[in-house]
Amino acid sequence: MPGADKETELSERIEAFLSELKRCGSGAGSLRGSAETARETTSLLRRITAQARWSNAGDLMEIIRKEGRRMTAGQPSETTVGNMVRRVLKIIREEYARSRGSTEEADQQESLHKLLTSGGSSEDNFRQHFTHLKANVIEAINELLTELEGTTDNISMQALEHIHSNEVIMTIGRSRTVEAFLKDAARKRKFHVIVAECAPFCQGHEMATSLSKEDIETTVIPDAAIFAVMSRVNKVIIGTQTVLANGGLRAVNGTHTLALAAKHHSTPLIVCAPMFKLSPQFPNEEDTFHKFVSPHEVLPFTEGEILSKVNAHCPVFDYVPPELITLFISNIGGNAPSYIYRLMSELYHPEDHEL
Amino acid sequence: ITSGSPNPPSRKQSRPRKAEKDEEEQPLQAVLVADSFNRRFFPISKDQPRALLPLANVSMIDYTLEFLTSTGVQETFVFCCWMSSKIKEHLQKSKWCRPTSPNVVHVITSDLYRSLGDVLRDVDAKALVRSDFLLVYGDVVSNIDVSQALQEHKQRRKMEKNVSVMTMIFKESPPGHKTRCEDDDIIVAMDGKSKRILHYQRAQALKKLHFPMNIFHSGSDEFEIRFDLLDCHISICSPQVAELFTDNFDYQTKNDFVRGLLVNEEILGNQIHMHVTKDGYGARVSNLLMYDTVSSDTIRRWIYPITPEANFADQEGQSCTHSRHNVYREPGVSLGHGSQMEENVLIGRNTVIGANCTISNTVIGANCVIGDNVTLDRAYIWNRVHIANDVKVKQSVICDNVEVKHGVVLNEQCVLAYNVVVGPDITLQEGTVLSMHHPDEEDDEDEDEFLSDDDVGYSKDKTKQKGSCSSYLIMLFQNEVHGTLQRGLDENISCDNLVLEINSLKYAYNISLKEVMQILIRVVLEFPFQQQGAQISTAQYSSHLLPLLKKWAPVFKNYVKRPQDQMDCLASMEEVFLERETHWAALVKVLMSVYQLEILEEEGIMRWFKQSSTTGKSQQLRRNQGLLKFIQWLEEAEESSEGDE
Repeated sequence: MPGADKETELSERIEAFLSELKRCGSGAGSLRGSAETARETTSLLRRITAQARWSNAGDLMEIIRKEGRRMTAGQPSETTVGNMVRRVLKIIREEYARSRGSTEEADQQESLHKLLTSGGSSEDNFRQHFTHLKANVIEAINELLTELEGTTDNISMQALEHIHSNEVIMTIGRSRTVEAFLKDAARKRKFHVIVAECAPFCQGHEMATSLSKEDIETTVIPDAAIFAVMSRVNKVIIGTQTVLANGGLRAVNGTHTLALAAKHHSTPLIVCAPMFKLSPQFPNEEDTFHKFVSPHEVLPFTEGEILSKVNAHCPVFDYVPPELITLFISNIGGNAPSYIYRLMSELYHPEDHEL
Repeated sequence: ITSGSPNPPSRKQSRPRKAEKDEEEQPLQAVLVADSFNRRFFPISKDQPRALLPLANVSMIDYTLEFLTSTGVQETFVFCCWMSSKIKEHLQKSKWCRPTSPNVVHVITSDLYRSLGDVLRDVDAKALVRSDFLLVYGDVVSNIDVSQALQEHKQRRKMEKNVSVMTMIFKESPPGHKTRCEDDDIIVAMDGKSKRILHYQRAQALKKLHFPMNIFHSGSDEFEIRFDLLDCHISICSPQVAELFTDNFDYQTKNDFVRGLLVNEEILGNQIHMHVTKDGYGARVSNLLMYDTVSSDTIRRWIYPITPEANFADQEGQSCTHSRHNVYREPGVSLGHGSQMEENVLIGRNTVIGANCTISNTVIGANCVIGDNVTLDRAYIWNRVHIANDVKVKQSVICDNVEVKHGVVLNEQCVLAYNVVVGPDITLQEGTVLSMHHPDEEDDEDEDEFLSDDDVGYSKDKTKQKGSCSSYLIMLFQNEVHGTLQRGLDENISCDNLVLEINSLKYAYNISLKEVMQILIRVVLEFPFQQQGAQISTAQYSSHLLPLLKKWAPVFKNYVKRPQDQMDCLASMEEVFLERETHWAALVKVLMSVYQLEILEEEGIMRWFKQSSTTGKSQQLRRNQGLLKFIQWLEEAEESSEGDE
């Protein structure tokens, strides 16, 4: 039966995606970048929308929420998965509202005025059936996918405004976004880049090799030298894994050091992060914030007997508080960290913050 | 990046390249042997097969299947022998047998498997494998990505047509590392460039090593001898391996196979290569010490991404949170006031822990109830265990449904098997094993299983048959032994050769070791009767027997090694003499000479003497004057020797 086949194929894909998430390689350099994860998640959600059985928006949202919970449980530190799920939920709400005819303003979020005047008008249970809802939702998801594909280019286009000639730029580890950003600026400007290698995974080495191929003057320094070199630096440009709801970052380990050094020297810290990395999480969730990988990088297995007497930990992420950040550059332009809450309210519906 | 969906049914490829493509795209297969063919985990594995024992609250076979699936295996054959129905049931409920699993699992059971060799012969007979396959055991825990080793293996086979038969995977780890199992210590001589194994030997407890000269003539100039390798028990085998096992019936274990291949290299031309991994982790839980080590490695995240909170086995309600200091808690855990989970702790769901407990380096299963003031250090507690107040547990394993009453202290390396109840205020010494099953005749070791296995080569560990052969065979064997000894005497054959002959007779007639010894004693003691007739006097008997005992002392010493052997030996002697009441005086002389030849020891003889005997006759025997005098002399000798020290 074709229906049953499709369903099993769908569940196969979901299972395969889940196991990929769980096994997402070892070390901070996950084998797939966040952009790919975001794209995969979105296409999977599109597939679910197309192939699962649902008759109204409420059902669809339930299904997507359920699958979303499973996927985020698979790898809690990979927040792009959850972010995409929330975007899709917001899309569904919008399409539903549009089909019903009510304007988008009606179910816009909390403003004090709204709370006082509207009362409890958010009663729509999303149970009404609309024939074109499916097509609209799928079209909107396609738009989202297009947006995802264009994020890196959108960010790189802003490079020339921020990087000037003969500047010294510092970065840490390897971020594809920052790489594209710098390469774009290098087409027209001449500048110098210092890359902190970011132990223990030493992704900075790859970044430096890649940048030097484009004829950018690059220097690699160990993490311990960050403070010493900072006085010579004009700007610090970094990428991140997640942008948290308070404007802070969850970035690769060593970034907090870099941010503190930059603050001390009053060097601007610029974060290049596409919008899909923005997550409604706050940094106080102790258990899901971190990812600890095999301590092999810190204390090699071959060390022998000492291993049974010593505990070695290898965390992957760092928290950077929002006070240390100067500017966020995303695909919709540059923003201050204090504005993040507003951007978030445009992307996600408050009821979706908790999947 | 596409998910691992099976090949679509119709493929329109260009015809001439189709055959080559087919060969390259064969799904990777694996053979998983879910039975270890030894009894290192007795008596725990009397109730539950080893592959299903929980390691960090997940069955061991799940780790192996996860390793295989994540490395790209698409078809796995699981071979079970002992308690196969349980393994089959577990696998069918697990995520590996869901229709969405990328790895298709077939379970094959048979009661006839006795060794790895039998399994591989079956693989060959059923023609299950089409190309290179991975061979693992059901208790291997690993996160190694074998794709690189597989590439190298395939490359080698393509370059030199099918000469390389197997690639073994090792991990670099220095001697003394806790993850190195002492039983499995190996020393390998290899060719540095081609990674070919030239010499392979188990190095456990050997003080001297010998290397044959021909390995140095292998024609390459980079030659390494390595002792820093840990055997992961993962091998990439070609289909020829199964064929070779079929051709050679005496290959039972992998060790036999490797050594056989290396010895016959000139004749058959097969080679074995190796791959050393530095970054991955691979270890086999082959005994309880390894269980301890691999458990603690899992908790300390050495096997990332296989970690407790990943819940890779997809079991309902098993997801746990990972907190600081490697503390993992599943849902429903309740912790009493003042209790500390210090570091490296995993607590199963719905477990209740009392007040003021100190827990470190421990794994606790689901639905346990632990009382107040309990100290747990390196304890492995399985499901539904009740521990009362004031208990201390150090480096022990406590199986399902055990009840430990208050005040109990378990010292290092204790094992409490299923359903045991340990009473209040008892202190168990190091290495105690408590089980509901009675120790059998066959269970020679009722001590702890943490000891490494000296008798690696003994086939009695591998057979599950109770060794009671028919008395007809015993008679034949007895006659043969008599004949051997007779010939030994006539032709003045050395004792080593006699031992060899007796051993080969043992295999021919399928006699167990204990019976061999008993029959040997009997034959020797009856030798003078056979020679000179049954009516000789005691004096004649002794004068004939004693020189024989002296001559054949090395033969005895070969068979009488452990305290249990001595008891058996004495029991056998008792039997013989009970049949010949008239010659009891000779017993004393026999005991004296046997003691002086150091075949038996004082403790053994004393223990035998003090045994409360069941028949009137043996009691009478013990009251024999000569014997009493001998025992008295023995006691005095013992005291004086102790006084000297």
